[in-house]
Amino acid sequence: MPCRLLASTAVALVLALTGLLAVGHGQSLTGEYKVGVLEPLTGPLASEGKRHLEGYEIVRDMINERGGVMGKKLVFAVADAPDPTAAATEANRLITREGVKIITGTFSSRLCGAASEAAARHNVIYWETSCVDPRFNKRGLKNVFRTEIDATGFGWYNIEFIAKHLAPRFNLRPNQLKIAFLSEDSSYGQGVTEAARQRAKGEFGMQELGAEYYSFTAINDFTPIIVKFKQLNPDIVHHIGYTNDAPLFWRQAREQNFLFKALVHAGATGYGSPDFGKALGSDANGVFALLEPGPGFRMEALRPEGQKLEREFREAVQKKTGSYPLGGHQLAGGGLWVLKLVLDRAKSDDIEKFRSAVMSLDMPVGSSINGWGVKFAENGQNANERVQHYMLQWQGGQLVTVWPEEFSTLRAKWIPLGSWDQRK
Amino acid sequence: MDPARLLGPAEIDVLAQLGVATVLLGGIYALIAVGLTLIFGIMRVVNFAHGEFLMLGMYLAFWAFTLWSLDPYFVLVVSVPVFLLVGLASYALIMRGVIHASHNVQIFTTVGLSTALQNVALVLWTGDYRVVRPWHSFVVLRVGGIAFNLSQVVAFVIALALTIMLFAFMKWTHTGRVMRATAQDREAATLMGIDTDLVYRLTWAIGIACVGAAGVLVAPLYSVYPTAGLQFVLLSYVVVVLGGLGDMVGALLGSLIVAAVEVAGSYYFGTAWKEVLYFVLFIAVLVFRPAGLFGQRGAETLGA
Repeated sequence: MPCRLLASTAVALVLALTGLLAVGHGQSLTGEYKVGVLEPLTGPLASEGKRHLEGYEIVRDMINERGGVMGKKLVFAVADAPDPTAAATEANRLITREGVKIITGTFSSRLCGAASEAAARHNVIYWETSCVDPRFNKRGLKNVFRTEIDATGFGWYNIEFIAKHLAPRFNLRPNQLKIAFLSEDSSYGQGVTEAARQRAKGEFGMQELGAEYYSFTAINDFTPIIVKFKQLNPDIVHHIGYTNDAPLFWRQAREQNFLFKALVHAGATGYGSPDFGKALGSDANGVFALLEPGPGFRMEALRPEGQKLEREFREAVQKKTGSYPLGGHQLAGGGLWVLKLVLDRAKSDDIEKFRSAVMSLDMPVGSSINGWGVKFAENGQNANERVQHYMLQWQGGQLVTVWPEEFSTLRAKWIPLGSWDQRK
Repeated sequence: MDPARLLGPAEIDVLAQLGVATVLLGGIYALIAVGLTLIFGIMRVVNFAHGEFLMLGMYLAFWAFTLWSLDPYFVLVVSVPVFLLVGLASYALIMRGVIHASHNVQIFTTVGLSTALQNVALVLWTGDYRVVRPWHSFVVLRVGGIAFNLSQVVAFVIALALTIMLFAFMKWTHTGRVMRATAQDREAATLMGIDTDLVYRLTWAIGIACVGAAGVLVAPLYSVYPTAGLQFVLLSYVVVVLGGLGDMVGALLGSLIVAAVEVAGSYYFGTAWKEVLYFVLFIAVLVFRPAGLFGQRGAETLGA
């Protein structure tokens, strides 16, 4: 009995203290405003989901220090969505039991569709910060918004980089470039690759030598593709890879002494994942991956308000995790900050008022976290040109920011890529 | 196509490289398939958890390399007794209870075991993609215009040796004869005084030891993660069906055929087609030669 008494006293004490702290933090805040956060916290996507949640929590605290949302303290109702079924049921639970009017999440393209459908049925706002499925905004739903670009935006940026940065450095015109496309065949890989192929051909007249798709769950050998590509002799290999196949392709390309001028990837999987560097060490050198800004990011290039925000965000991430912000932190954190801006403007979670606030936001690149700007289209998608993305390159075991050059202190190396043993 | 171009030195190099790729990839598939065909042939159990035992072997190689810098080839020697024990334990705890049950029950049991093992790996070691990079995984042998990865060559040689050893064991040892007798007619074998439970236990343990060793050998070539087994396991069913149930040499030849279809299909038609091609082959074999390309007619019903 004394034991239980002690325990309940301790609990009461903790509750009282946290209550006090909360009051001390945001004196002017009256009441709480609850937002539903849906992330895969268990299952195969758990590590990404947890990183996203961490990003949300860091920016939530930043928001509360600056007066919360609509004068209230921002709090989360967190739910676990390891798969699409759970995403839908948990979205329902957040709406009916927790009474939230806004749900945000979900990292994966597998989850955002199901979760946002559920939200749409209840006329609840669905604020996506990271899934990149191009279909997300093409369902005519009035309640869905996405702060991150979609997979087609990744393809758009990759070709932008190839045409405007790589081509001049090879002393070639964009229409002289020969590209071979290789991609895993999920909606992500296909979305990026199809968008890149269209823009490369349509806008810049680049020469497509071939396009190969494969399933990343069933690829055990890239030799036949590499042998084929070697005969085609491309300048650029545009490869959207997943986590197990990207190191396999790179290792086998080295074995086969497959030489090309550059390899360009997009996204946090495959070549964009820290696992790639771990797998290949300095052999990873030279690969490009389109991502959020990493080491070398020149914050001075942002607008003053963006700089201040970015610094504060980076310090908070450093303090909480001991590391440089990772992609998950940046997508979730950057997206939540835009939600705050919308709520400040709408002063309501009524869907009509919220929607018109979203549409009226117009901020240039460099205004917010990650150097992002804001300009939403009617379908609820933030514009490619505003959601600034950055080309990172593997250099000495690290992914560093190299493009756009005004945003980076570091420069792309190994252009064109030399022989395999000369990339140290 | 102009025949002179077809036979130019560049084309010969391409064909030779594709041939080498086929043989080396076939070696990996054979390594994984021999254990499956053994269990399949003798116990008549489709082990859907086969890929997960492969994954456990990969993790064994990973942790031994990461924690104690042990080379996978040394771990290979240790892995055989370790996985014999894993096999004996999993038989005693799980398979023993369902070995006389219907095929459906066995399928549900091994599928359940597969998912359970994946999730155990996920909980224990997270979903991260790990890599094992011993010195030999970087060594590339070059002969003319053709490249061979040393780890892959070793895996192929061991696959070949393992197949021959298992084949000899089944054919010429007393235990092997007992195992074959059990496979042919369980009841008659029991009447002859054979302890069929012991035979099943042994078969299961040897099968698991083979796939565990295969996991150790493929770890330097592929990423290690909880669902790594799924990458190979579907293929090994194709191999086993092609080769004929329980036929070791058939498994080796089946592996080479699947690898050839995969490599040639990827090169000539595009990678997207490779699964279509070998599953068409798989279905064709089931329809026209249900005992497998090299299996004895009627073998699929033996011991049922």
